[in-house]
Amino acid sequence: MEFSNSCSSFSSSSVDSTKPSPSESSVNLSLSLTFPSTSPQREARQDWPPIKSRLRDSLKGRRLPRRDDDTSLFVKVYMEGVPIGRKLDLCAFSGYESLLENLSHMYDTLIICGKRDRKHHVLTYEDKDGDWMMVGDIPWDMFLETVRRLKITRPERY
Amino acid sequence: MNYFPDEVVEHVFDFVTSHKDRNAISLVCKSWYKIERYSRQKVFIGNCYATNPERLLRRFPCLKSLTLKGKPHFADFNLVPHEWGGFVLPWIEALARSRVGLEELRLKRMVVTDESLELLSRSFVNFKSLVLVSCEGFTTDGLASIAANCRHLRDLDLQENEIDDHRGQWLSCFPDTCTTLVTLNFACLEGETNLVALERLVARSPNLKSLKLNRAVPLDALARLMSCAPQMVDLGVGSYENDPESESYLKLQAAIKKCTSLRSLSGFLEAAPHCLSAFHPICHNLTSLNLSYAAEIHGSHLIKLIQHCKKLQRLWILDSIGDKGLEVVASTCKELQELRVFPSDLLGGGNTAVTEEGLVAISGGCPKLHSILYFCQQMTNAALVTVAKNCPNFIRFRLCILEPNKPDHVTSQPLDEGFGAIVKACKSLRRLSLSGLLTDQVFLYIGMYANQLEMLSIAFAGDTDKGMLYVLNGCKKMKKLEIRDSPFGDTALLADVSKYETMRSLWMSSCEVTLSGCKRLAEKAPWLNVEIINETDNNRMEENGHEGRQKVDKLYLYRTVVGTRMDAPPFVWIL
Repeated sequence: MEFSNSCSSFSSSSVDSTKPSPSESSVNLSLSLTFPSTSPQREARQDWPPIKSRLRDSLKGRRLPRRDDDTSLFVKVYMEGVPIGRKLDLCAFSGYESLLENLSHMYDTLIICGKRDRKHHVLTYEDKDGDWMMVGDIPWDMFLETVRRLKITRPERY
Repeated sequence: MNYFPDEVVEHVFDFVTSHKDRNAISLVCKSWYKIERYSRQKVFIGNCYATNPERLLRRFPCLKSLTLKGKPHFADFNLVPHEWGGFVLPWIEALARSRVGLEELRLKRMVVTDESLELLSRSFVNFKSLVLVSCEGFTTDGLASIAANCRHLRDLDLQENEIDDHRGQWLSCFPDTCTTLVTLNFACLEGETNLVALERLVARSPNLKSLKLNRAVPLDALARLMSCAPQMVDLGVGSYENDPESESYLKLQAAIKKCTSLRSLSGFLEAAPHCLSAFHPICHNLTSLNLSYAAEIHGSHLIKLIQHCKKLQRLWILDSIGDKGLEVVASTCKELQELRVFPSDLLGGGNTAVTEEGLVAISGGCPKLHSILYFCQQMTNAALVTVAKNCPNFIRFRLCILEPNKPDHVTSQPLDEGFGAIVKACKSLRRLSLSGLLTDQVFLYIGMYANQLEMLSIAFAGDTDKGMLYVLNGCKKMKKLEIRDSPFGDTALLADVSKYETMRSLWMSSCEVTLSGCKRLAEKAPWLNVEIINETDNNRMEENGHEGRQKVDKLYLYRTVVGTRMDAPPFVWIL
């Protein structure tokens, strides 16, 4: 019985001409074909999952930023009056709600979007043009494309 | 036996159209065989190497429509090398020589060349319909010959082919006198499209019911096309990058409202992530929606569109719709018969993917569901049992859990019981695809209960040869069995050789079958073509001293009445 010394995770596709001969190919399948679920596969296989080439190509060509280990958008975050800022990866959030939740947690105070009032910290951002804008007016995807950094305004206290 | 003259019997046979029924008729007696063969107009050949053109023409001289399939199904997933075979040229040459009045040709997974298309276009005066699915080997020059020479062309339907786009003027090769088009599908072309020629062609085709555009057709062209073809029934949108403020978009909105016959929508090959709302006015009429190529569109926009589609019977979508989206489908689309949910994230770990919850929701909400293809992250036995209870009418059940060998994510058990429940409840099941962690037990269930099963796809499943034997012994109607990466070997392969005469084909790759096992099979069954596909080194299998015990990488066997094929490439060894 020939044992395989094949790798413990998927390697190159089966149409690769450098593939080992049949005698070396996977034998004990529970050993040789574990897909590690923790580490993302950088190089996708050509024969799994079983979808047609056209669909595979169409998915590869996606232009949307994917929320996986590949993309991140780190921006500086300042609390008004506090000289030292923080850095935050906006791609880790699914939308404004989760961003606000996270910021509120980070600064241990309620932070909101929208009209500036006297009581709450309001979140603003600097856009591509250098203008300071209210967070929350435009769709999240558009926001990700234009935001340069964030500033949390302090409530006005008189 | 025959109390009626032949003409009367023939007239009765005219009402029998399904090729399975006609095959059955021809077996009744010699007289019926003879009458049937002269009156048969449509012939279906599921494996082009099971017979040859000469035998086809000898038996059916009045042939008008031919359907041919070439490569095995797993060729769709890059498991079969391109040069393996399935060439259509010899068929077209033989048909042309015989002067048969061919009107329709439907090919799937075959190698088509420009030469064959040119010959096809010149040889049959009444040629009307060309449907190519998952084919390759030709260019837009071949399409130009079809356009130029087929005077009565009704259908040119190119589905998911690999076509070399020479950016030529094939669309302008349709003569001005060509006004008979009913179907024009060129969505799979990658290159530029002559928009002027296209618009003129559509404008002079009053019978055009199905139009599927490629990604090179922009929004303003779409608006113009729809304006002059309000009779459209089936539309494939090309590019859909829109500015909702633009005049083109307003024109499109107006044009769509007039397309009251529109029943089927697909494409959106390049789409900006907003604004499908232009289509909302006609959604209530839609019976078919294919958004599997609309990778840019967010789940939320998909859901908004689907909420208007109460009459939907067929839905193909990406898993970016999510379980929540599927719940909306379940509550909206009560007429749904067929659902396909494709993976949108090939690198794994997508957090918007679907789970067993989506599947259960669909099964609960859609009583008419009979066909499903479902790619998901995880599954449980409990969910499958529920699905089986909700939907005992499944004809096709294909489940693909993206991570191979993944067990029930709640109990960590194999999914044997879940799939067992499916095959037990679904007495009409004809097609089944398995995935997840599976032992021999699931095959015991399949052999016991899946009496109508014709096609079974197995990947990363089973423990011993017993698994495969349960299936071969139990499934009396099995036609196509395809197995990859499973521990089935020579014992199962050789147990009942006569079984393969009742099947169209068997595929086994990365299994445990050895060269000597395959050789023994070939010896026992001369009416089978036993093909070994070995891409690495053609001669290694012979020269190596251990040749008999060497594992065969890819085995493809099929019944045939014409023996070994002559067109096999060097890396295919026919035993």
